[in-house]
Amino acid sequence: MSKLPEHNMPKGDHGATRSYVVGFILSLIFTAIPYYLVVNKALSSSVLLIVILAIAVIQMLIQIFFFLHLGRGPKPLYNIFFFAGTVATILVVVGGSVFIMNNLHHMVPAEAAKKLIEKEGIYQINGEKTGACQGVHSNHKVTIKNDIVTPVYIEARLCDTLTFINEDEKSREMTFGSHPRHASYGGESELAVRKGRSKTVTLNELGTHQFHDHLDPGVAGSFTVIE
Amino acid sequence: MVAHKQMDHEEAANDRVMFGFWVYLMTDLLMFAVLFAVYAVLKDSTAGGPAGRDLFRLPLALQETLLLLTSSFTCGLGMIAARQGNKRQVLGWFGATFILGLAFLSLELIEFAEIIHEGYTWQTSAFLSAFFSLVGTHGLHITFGLLWMAITLWFVVKRGLTNNMVRKLALLSLFWHFLDIVWIFIFTIVYLGAFV
Amino acid sequence: MKELLLGKLDGQALPHEWFTILGSITFILATIATIILITRLKRWKWLWNEWLTSVDPKKIGIMYFIVGGFMLVRGGIDAIMIWLQQAISVDGSQGYLSADHFQQVFTAHGNIMVFFVAMAFIFGLINYIVPLQIGARDLASPFLNTLGFWLYVGGVVMVNMFFLLGGEYAATGWLAVAPLSGKEFSPGVGVDYWIWSLQISGVGTTLAAINFIMTILKMRAPGMTLWKMPLFTWGSLCSMLMAVTVFPLLTATLFLMFFDRYLGMHFFTTSGGGNPMMYTNLIWMWGHPEVYILMLPAFGAFSEIVSTFSRKSIASYTSNVLGMIGVSVFALSVWLHHFFTMGASANVNAFFGVMTMVIAIPTAVLFFSWIATMYKGRIRYDTPMLWFLGFVAIFTIGGIAGLLLAIPPVDFQLHNSLFLVAHFHSNVIGGVLFGIFAGLAYWFPKISGYRLNERIGRYAFWSWIVGFLMAFVPMYILGLMGATRRLDHYDSSTGWQPFYVMSLMGGIIIMVGVALQLVQIVASFMQKRRLHDSTGDPWNGRTLEWAVTSPPPSYNFTVIPEVSSRDAFWKMKQHGLRRPVYEDIRMPRNTGSGIYISIFAFLVGFGFVWEIIWLVVVSLIAIIGFVIARTFDEDIEYTLTAAEVEKLELAREKKNHAHYAHGRVDAEDMGLREFVVTVIKWVLDVIKNRRWRTW
Repeated sequence: MSKLPEHNMPKGDHGATRSYVVGFILSLIFTAIPYYLVVNKALSSSVLLIVILAIAVIQMLIQIFFFLHLGRGPKPLYNIFFFAGTVATILVVVGGSVFIMNNLHHMVPAEAAKKLIEKEGIYQINGEKTGACQGVHSNHKVTIKNDIVTPVYIEARLCDTLTFINEDEKSREMTFGSHPRHASYGGESELAVRKGRSKTVTLNELGTHQFHDHLDPGVAGSFTVIE
Repeated sequence: MVAHKQMDHEEAANDRVMFGFWVYLMTDLLMFAVLFAVYAVLKDSTAGGPAGRDLFRLPLALQETLLLLTSSFTCGLGMIAARQGNKRQVLGWFGATFILGLAFLSLELIEFAEIIHEGYTWQTSAFLSAFFSLVGTHGLHITFGLLWMAITLWFVVKRGLTNNMVRKLALLSLFWHFLDIVWIFIFTIVYLGAFV
Repeated sequence: MKELLLGKLDGQALPHEWFTILGSITFILATIATIILITRLKRWKWLWNEWLTSVDPKKIGIMYFIVGGFMLVRGGIDAIMIWLQQAISVDGSQGYLSADHFQQVFTAHGNIMVFFVAMAFIFGLINYIVPLQIGARDLASPFLNTLGFWLYVGGVVMVNMFFLLGGEYAATGWLAVAPLSGKEFSPGVGVDYWIWSLQISGVGTTLAAINFIMTILKMRAPGMTLWKMPLFTWGSLCSMLMAVTVFPLLTATLFLMFFDRYLGMHFFTTSGGGNPMMYTNLIWMWGHPEVYILMLPAFGAFSEIVSTFSRKSIASYTSNVLGMIGVSVFALSVWLHHFFTMGASANVNAFFGVMTMVIAIPTAVLFFSWIATMYKGRIRYDTPMLWFLGFVAIFTIGGIAGLLLAIPPVDFQLHNSLFLVAHFHSNVIGGVLFGIFAGLAYWFPKISGYRLNERIGRYAFWSWIVGFLMAFVPMYILGLMGATRRLDHYDSSTGWQPFYVMSLMGGIIIMVGVALQLVQIVASFMQKRRLHDSTGDPWNGRTLEWAVTSPPPSYNFTVIPEVSSRDAFWKMKQHGLRRPVYEDIRMPRNTGSGIYISIFAFLVGFGFVWEIIWLVVVSLIAIIGFVIARTFDEDIEYTLTAAEVEKLELAREKKNHAHYAHGRVDAEDMGLREFVVTVIKWVLDVIKNRRWRTW
């Protein structure tokens, strides 16, 4: 079973050696080029990224051809097919993941993020403070009865809470800004308050803001938040 | 008549093994794909810790790249010697490959040690988890490759350069070249990418 | 010191809940009973040499069926437990399972059915049948074959290990989504057992897939081009190509989860910058193609069965092949439909929704091709054909439900509802499981030498159909009524209970069906003289596996056939079969390396679960040692000389004739009443004559 190879390359075949030498030199060149491009910041950021990626692909093909000899020899089709399939899959896996995760990240709008941050008590992200409120503060009550808002104006400190109490027989939809162009406050765009119930919002934004019942815009008031 | 059939049997078996190993390499590439995907998604999640540009040194990365590339070259020359039945050259070229590979690994381990010494580990942030996993997995493959190389060369010394040994060296070369190809992308995406 | 030696293992790990005690006792008693049985029959050497270390794909295939069969029962018990809990846990009653236990049950049910039942049966079929169909003697790598099987067994042991040590399995759902599966929210060993059982068997699957691909692409009989291969082989090829593409993704993702839990990394954690959504993304990149991996061999089997039992060649071979390739290619473009509700933008959701619908097209091509094959055929309604028809009905229902779910706005209502559960069970049971049953009924004569009892087979089939509809149609309705999956308790005001109860009854009828299948096998064995397959071709088949005796000799073919067309065997029959000229055959030797490597692979996983570092290190070194020993071993084959082959063939023919010389020939397949009577008579005979003394 063990015999010396006799049907392989003849002695002193420089073709094979040449293949490796060429591949080696080309690889050196295609390593040096992106290196110096990056070190010298020769191109703008996004262009540079595409260029070095493209050069990496080229070097891969160089090594695939000159070192791994893909495409040469008898019946290369299967190997090429598998390699192409793998490359396609890698593009789907890496490209697809980057695309989808990016999309998910951008689908979290600023307001929803704010609301989540407040509700979940996330005080810092990557070392930066988010502005979410910590600790115990005063609560201010706004009662709505017989379509009358009491009190109609509140002065509060940052991070106090504001509670809408609905003592009427109908449901209310408290929203901010003036009707009909609503605004959101603290991440909340609408607070549905059923009869006899209440809802609370954390006052984490400074300034003067208006509120009203979207279903009955005459029922309105305002509040000012200071430090 | 019988010898001819046995030769075919051996050739066919050879062809199958080379092909099967190629398919295995593709699956290995796909595992790396997941590591690359995770790196690409998490590389900016530094959790207040350092980013790539704070930790990596491009000259060191270049050295590592040149070492591995050269080892891939010497590996190729070793394969030519194997097919020519030249046992001494095989040991010489593959020996050189081993030493270059070991040098690569050492540099990488020193790099890791330095980062850890500064107080940053894979537990510090998602970015560092992804970095250590991606580059570490490649390093682990290199380690296995070196182990495989040492054992195979030992058997070449003991059993001589038989057909079976030449085939084993061919498989090893495939593995080694493929590791260099993965490194091209690590060099580009991880190291160069950090400074773009 | 104790920590160094035993890691996290301590007395607490031993069973102390009712189900862990029950499970442990069951496994231990079963093991002891098996050991006693084998010892008394003096079959240890036989077992080791003939079966455990065998590299014969036929034997390995049968072993896959046996282990898979046991796991089917285990997973089925989980299903009954779920049904029972959901039928009675209303209002004041909390049922009989705690919430945490319930979660472990449905997690185990999913894992076992997908990884350890379906994959096992599929691999068993491919192992046995594909080499025969392509005119090969063995797979490309006999070593990888046995290794793949034993790694699977390692996974089976790992997934059941928690009964004995640990007391808990993952309570996270079958895919263990992050961050619930992270260390913070699942600190126990359950998820670790989950990781390693999947990891070990997953590696086995990848190796087996590489092996199958090598075999199909490189070891076909001369003349059999790809376009002349039987359709079951095509289905297997497409399936294994997908497996080799996506199982590495699973392996890598499991490693990342392991890194998070074990090394404190932050891939999927809620702190340190981790992104749990990335886990969902990665795991479904594997998860979706996985279901097609299971489906395509079943599709292939159905293609052959429809053709054989319609007594017509397949209507359009090209359409079938293109359909299977089409499904394989598109399988990698739909995975996001598993998380439409995770929050991607409308355009992204729409793209994946559309691609999901597009996959229905190649699937439909396959269906139409089968129906066209049946058209103007002379159809025989033997059990394989019945299973096919059942598949058409149930898989179509599931498929239509799937089309509905493919629409993102609809999915927002139905995501993770019982509608979804009914959908995937319709497709997996109706498609994969019925395909396996059909394939087993079809190829059983080839494997055992006698065909299955048709009468009891019909009873089993109808039990399954009635049981399935009764179990899952209420689930579709429940889903539309708003019932979520994985609920362990609900209010009676929802009006759901009657449906849950009906579902449970359907499940019981399914269990009756399974019991009938076991009865069918036993009854067939009892009547095997009558049901004997003497020609090797009981169905008048068209493909090469029917050209050899039933069961085939270890070397499959005495001489590798030369093929010139599709339906190769059909062509041969037209031209008349000739006695071949015998020649020397190279056969692979048995090897225990698959077993040894798998034992240590299991120990690596076990070591990681309990943080017993020395065990991990020692086992890794042992694995490397065995791999080196095997790969540098040059003496792995032996030769069967032509003379020996001739002797074996003559002996086989003599045995064949002997079958007909002795034994009575019954009038017809025995029915249930006759079966019960026969069993009772046998039991009474054993007791009266104290036959156990001679065993």
